[in-house]
Amino acid sequence: MKILVVEDDKTAGPYIAGGLREEGHSVDFLTHGQEGLVQAMAGSYDILIVDRMLPGIDGVSLVKTLRGAKNRVPILFLTALGGVDDRIEGLDAGADDYLVKPFVFGELRARIAALCRRPQLAEAPTSLRAHDLELDRLSRKVTRSGKTIDLLPREFALLEHLLRRKGRVQTRTMLLESVWDIHFDPLTNIVETHISRLRGKVDKDHNVQLIETVRGAGYRIIEE
Amino acid sequence: MIVRLIAPEMRSTPLRLTGMLILIFTFSSLVTFGIAYLFLRNTIDTVLEEQLNQSVVSYTSIKDANDLEERLIADAKSVDPSVMIFTFEPTAGPTISNVTSFPLIAGLTIVRDADIVPAHRELSDSYLAIPAQVAGGRLIVAQTRGQIIEMGEVFAAVFLIGLLPTLLIASTVGLLAARRARDRVEAIRTTLLDLTHGTLTSRVPNVADVPDDLEQIGLAVNRMATAQAKTVASLKQVSDDIAHDLKTPIQRVAIQLGRLQNRKNLDAEQAEIVENAVIETEGIVRTFQSLLQIAQIESGRVKERFVPVDVRQLSENLVEAFTPIAEESDHVITFASDQNDAMFVQGDRQLLSQVLVNLLENGLRHVPSGGAIIVQLSQSNDHIELAVSDDGPGVPTAEREKVLRRLYRLERSRTSEGNGLGLSLVAAICELHDAKLTLADAMPGLIVRIVFPIKS
Repeated sequence: MKILVVEDDKTAGPYIAGGLREEGHSVDFLTHGQEGLVQAMAGSYDILIVDRMLPGIDGVSLVKTLRGAKNRVPILFLTALGGVDDRIEGLDAGADDYLVKPFVFGELRARIAALCRRPQLAEAPTSLRAHDLELDRLSRKVTRSGKTIDLLPREFALLEHLLRRKGRVQTRTMLLESVWDIHFDPLTNIVETHISRLRGKVDKDHNVQLIETVRGAGYRIIEE
Repeated sequence: MIVRLIAPEMRSTPLRLTGMLILIFTFSSLVTFGIAYLFLRNTIDTVLEEQLNQSVVSYTSIKDANDLEERLIADAKSVDPSVMIFTFEPTAGPTISNVTSFPLIAGLTIVRDADIVPAHRELSDSYLAIPAQVAGGRLIVAQTRGQIIEMGEVFAAVFLIGLLPTLLIASTVGLLAARRARDRVEAIRTTLLDLTHGTLTSRVPNVADVPDDLEQIGLAVNRMATAQAKTVASLKQVSDDIAHDLKTPIQRVAIQLGRLQNRKNLDAEQAEIVENAVIETEGIVRTFQSLLQIAQIESGRVKERFVPVDVRQLSENLVEAFTPIAEESDHVITFASDQNDAMFVQGDRQLLSQVLVNLLENGLRHVPSGGAIIVQLSQSNDHIELAVSDDGPGVPTAEREKVLRRLYRLERSRTSEGNGLGLSLVAAICELHDAKLTLADAMPGLIVRIVFPIKS
């Protein structure tokens, strides 16, 4: 994938760029807001990673300008630690997702993967399947090997979220945000607990464990 | 009238002082006035008495009864009864007088015109009369008190034309000036209140550098506020600098650890070490996030983004999210609301969620296994109350106030388990939402009440 990283921190920036290159992406790295904007307009990137604080043009203005120029490239917005309203500001400007610094690399990787496949999500079918598990989004019924599984509303939402992104890692933070609308970091292991409950209902007494834990990253539904 | 003007404004010192001054002025004016009147009246009375005595003497000096009678008859025709009245009752014969009838008196007496029957000429309002024994009869001489009455009228006129308007003008001007002073004192007071409540941009309006005590106090308050704002700004700058200096290394460590964690060639022990380091880093990040967040919340900037948030739905969802967690630690969380409709609070959804999450986490951490946590919502005309109660050990009364106190926070954060910033963050968020936060005894346990005002 072709990625543009615009980050003014001269040490953190290269780390992100380097890490992404290690993953096999083609990465352009700039530190100046104005240069970033020009480069983003000129080059055809699969994804943009833009920091909130930038010299020249700040991140919010950069995103706004790009969107104003009808540039639809997926943008991941990086916000500083402790920024309560930076997130809303970034999303309001037109960014597709945001990430609070510091983040673990797995988080960045998962977000990038999610952003690049985002358009496919729109056409999600009413019936989601994985192996012998079936989830009907209209009747809100879940069955495995033909046997009905009773799920609580939030468990259903969690399973649906994972099934719609089958095979792709969803981090703890991504799940907290999408399923529970919690955009901060609670001390409690809300996601872990609910995943374990869900496993108890979905995977227990089955040979194939559909919900997989990806160490240091998150969870996913395995692909057949 | 003056008293009524002052009464509801008694709290204002300038108004109170002006009121008192007007009262003292009125009182002293009246006293001076009264003394002057009495003194003058006394003098005139003395003069009158002397005149009367002289008249009496002019008659009593006539020893011959016939001469006296002749003189009296002549005087009865010539003397104006509005100036002087005399009545002579001889032992025998008709009364000689310039009036038809005059009351009998025993000594020096004031006689009103109503008691006198006039002959044909007009009388004065009041007379000073004295009886005397003369040759062949009894004589009463009365002198008009017109002078004294006139003097009274002059005094009344002076009072009405001179003193009363002065008093009115002085009161009006005085009260207006006092009100202006009151308003300026009030402006200083509100500014100080605003400054105390953290609005460091608040200033006393329209102060001029003139040699006037109130203006000077206003100027001093403004200078103090500017200095305070500068101090806060530089403190914030320092903490921002520290935060920024630490933010970057934390981020680098996190990224480095992430890269290491991503290595496929780590053995089990190495992987575990990295995993633990990642967990520790997450803890540092969380504490850091709370610290920075409190600072940002206290700056009040988030308030601009406030929207109506349904706290009922928010609470229900969070209770649902925490239910399995509570079950694992053998706790019971219940949710109760006095109505099924949405309950809207003007605020930030994430921050409000954080309040409840922190309170629930606090409960789960401090309430022993088997305990219960109740989340209750109630709405009245002007407020929405969110109460989280438990049957745990509670917080001692003395500690309760300290927990919410600003400076106690840092002390506490160093001594208590966790990062200890949970309740401080709750307090900061409540303050941002103008909500009243109280900790009370649930007997047993702790009840945390948050009362949100409903703004119409």
